[in-house]
Amino acid sequence: MMLTPNNNIIIGIIIALLVVASYNVDANPIEFAEGLPNLAIVVEEMLLVEPKYIPTALWAMLETIQMAFIGTIIGFVIALPLSLLSARNLNSKYVYAPVRALLAAIRTFPSILWAILFVIMVGSGPFAGVLAIIMYTIGFVAKLQYEVIETIDSDPMDAVGSIGVSKWQLIRYVVIPESASHLLSQLLYMFDYNIRQSSILGLVGAGGIGFYIINYITFFEYGKVVVFMLVVLVTVLIIDWFSVKIRDKYIIKSQHGMEVTAK
Amino acid sequence: MKQIQMTQNPSFSLISTKKIIQMSNVWTSYDSKNFALEGINLSIDRGTNYAIIGQSGSGKSTLLKLMNGMMIPSKGTIKIDYTSPDMNNKKFKKMMHTIGYIPQNLGLVKNITVLENTLLGALPRLTKIQSLFKKFPEHEIQEAKRILKLVGLTGKENRKAYLLSGGEKRRVAIARALMQKPTILLADEVVSELDNVTAHDIMNLIADAQKRMNLTAIMVHHDMQLALEYANRVAVITKGQKILEIGVEGETIVDFQTGDMSTEEIMEMYDVNSKQ
Ligand SMILES: Nc1ncnc2c1ncn2[C@@H]1O[C@H](COP(=O)(O)OP(=O)(O)OP(=O)(O)O)[C@@H](O)[C@H]1O
Ligand SMILES: [Mg+2]
Repeated sequence: MMLTPNNNIIIGIIIALLVVASYNVDANPIEFAEGLPNLAIVVEEMLLVEPKYIPTALWAMLETIQMAFIGTIIGFVIALPLSLLSARNLNSKYVYAPVRALLAAIRTFPSILWAILFVIMVGSGPFAGVLAIIMYTIGFVAKLQYEVIETIDSDPMDAVGSIGVSKWQLIRYVVIPESASHLLSQLLYMFDYNIRQSSILGLVGAGGIGFYIINYITFFEYGKVVVFMLVVLVTVLIIDWFSVKIRDKYIIKSQHGMEVTAK
Repeated sequence: MKQIQMTQNPSFSLISTKKIIQMSNVWTSYDSKNFALEGINLSIDRGTNYAIIGQSGSGKSTLLKLMNGMMIPSKGTIKIDYTSPDMNNKKFKKMMHTIGYIPQNLGLVKNITVLENTLLGALPRLTKIQSLFKKFPEHEIQEAKRILKLVGLTGKENRKAYLLSGGEKRRVAIARALMQKPTILLADEVVSELDNVTAHDIMNLIADAQKRMNLTAIMVHHDMQLALEYANRVAVITKGQKILEIGVEGETIVDFQTGDMSTEEIMEMYDVNSKQ
C-alpha cells in the first residue's frame, strides 16, 4: 500500500476505531497477563491425557460427522431450488427479492443460535443439531449458489433459449450443467465447515462431540477434554486433506474447462 | 485474378412466392441512444438462401437477433411467417422451436458432450417427464448421431464440448440447429475463420438441407465470394443500413436495388477477386 496522504487518513481512522472499540469491550492487557498462570494450570492438567477415552471420543466424533453429513445434504437439497429462485438472471424482481430477503434472514443467525432454538423446540440431542446445520446450510449455500448461477455464461443461455425451450428445461439443461462443478465444490466446502460447526453445537446441548467437551470442562477434567479436542483436530485435518484431493482431482479440472471460451 | 465462380444454386427451384420474413422500416438500438439498425426493409421468400454481408459493427448480428425474437425493434414491424417475433408471444415461442440459430459465439454448453449439445435441439419435442429425467427417445439419439455424421463429428460424440477445436465447435452448433428440424436457419458467420475446404463442406451441407427441407437460410458472411456462390440474394449493410441487395440466379446477377454504390465498388470493397 502506498503511503499517500489519503491512505494515512484511512490508517489513522482505523487506529482510532481500534482504540475506541477496545475500550468499549473492556479489553485490558493487564487482566490478560494476570490470567496467564491460569492457562498454565489448564495446560498442566491437560498433559494428564486419559487415553482410555479415545474410543468414546471416536464414537462422539462419528456422531458429529453424521450430523454434519445429514445436515449438509438436506440443507443443500433445499438450498438448490431457493438459489434458482433468487438468481437475477432467471427471475423477475418479484420472485428473487422476497426469496433473497428470506435467505438473508436465515443467515442472520449463526448456527449456535439455531441450535438453541431447536433444543428448545425438540429437546437436546443430535436431532436439534442436525436441524441447526440444515438451517445454516440453507442460508449460506443458497447465497453461494445464486452467486454462481448469476455468473454463468449467457451465451449458451441465449442460444438454447432461442430454441423456445421452457424455463425449467433451460435450468435443467444449461444452468445446472454450467454451474455443476462449482455447486459440488460448495457442497464439499460446506460439509467440511459443518463438521467444525457440529463440534461446537454440543455446547448448547445439540449433540455431537462438543457435548462431551463442555461437560468435562465444567468438571475441570482437562485430561479428558484434551483427548476429545485432539480427535476433533485430527478429524478436521483428515477431512481437509480429503476435500483438497477431491477438489484437485475432479472439480478444478472441469472448472478449468469452463473457462475455455467458445469463439 | 480469378473470376467470380458461381455454382448452380441448389435451392433455386424450390423458391415459392410465399414471404417468410418481412421487415419494414426497422430501427433498433441497444442503448436507446445509438441505433444499431436504421430503417431496414427486406422481404425474404421461403426457401431462399439469403446472405448478409457488411463490415464489422454494421449490424449483421443484430439483424439476425431481430429475426428470432431475441431483440425487439424500437420502430418498424417484423413478420416471421406473418407472426411478430417476440418471446412473450405464445405463437412465436412455438415457432422458435423450428428456427435454428447459430450465434456468432456459438453458445455451446461447455461441460456436456457433443451428443448432448446436439440433442438440445430436440428439447421442444420431449414430454415433461422425458425432459425431467433427461430421457431422450432412441430415435432422437439416432437422429442426432446421423446429423453428427453429416457434420463430420462421428467418433467425437462423447467428447466434452470445451475440448473441441474451434471448427469442431462450429459443427456442433450447426448440428444442434439441424436437430431442431428447422424451417428457418439463422447462421452468424458460421463458416468464417474455417479453412476453405471445411467452409465449403458446411455450406454444401446447408445447401443440401435446404433442398431436402425447403429451408430458408439467412446467413451472415464475411466473404462476398462465398455469399455469391451459395446465396440467391445478397444484402449488403453498412452502418445499420441496407445499401444494396442483389439477386443471384445461376451465374448471373439479376437485379440491383438502387444504392449509393455500384457493384464494382462493392466487389472492390469486399475484395472479391483476390480471394482464393
Ligand atoms: N450487446 C450490445 N450492447 C450494446 N451495443 C451492442 C451490443 N451488441 C452490438 N452492439 C452494437 O451494435 C452495433 C452492431 O453490432 P452487430 O453485432 O450487429 O455488428 P456485426 O455487423 O455483427 O459485427 P461483426 O461483424 O463484428 O460481428 C455495433 O455498433 C455494436 O457496437
Ligand atoms: Mg456479428
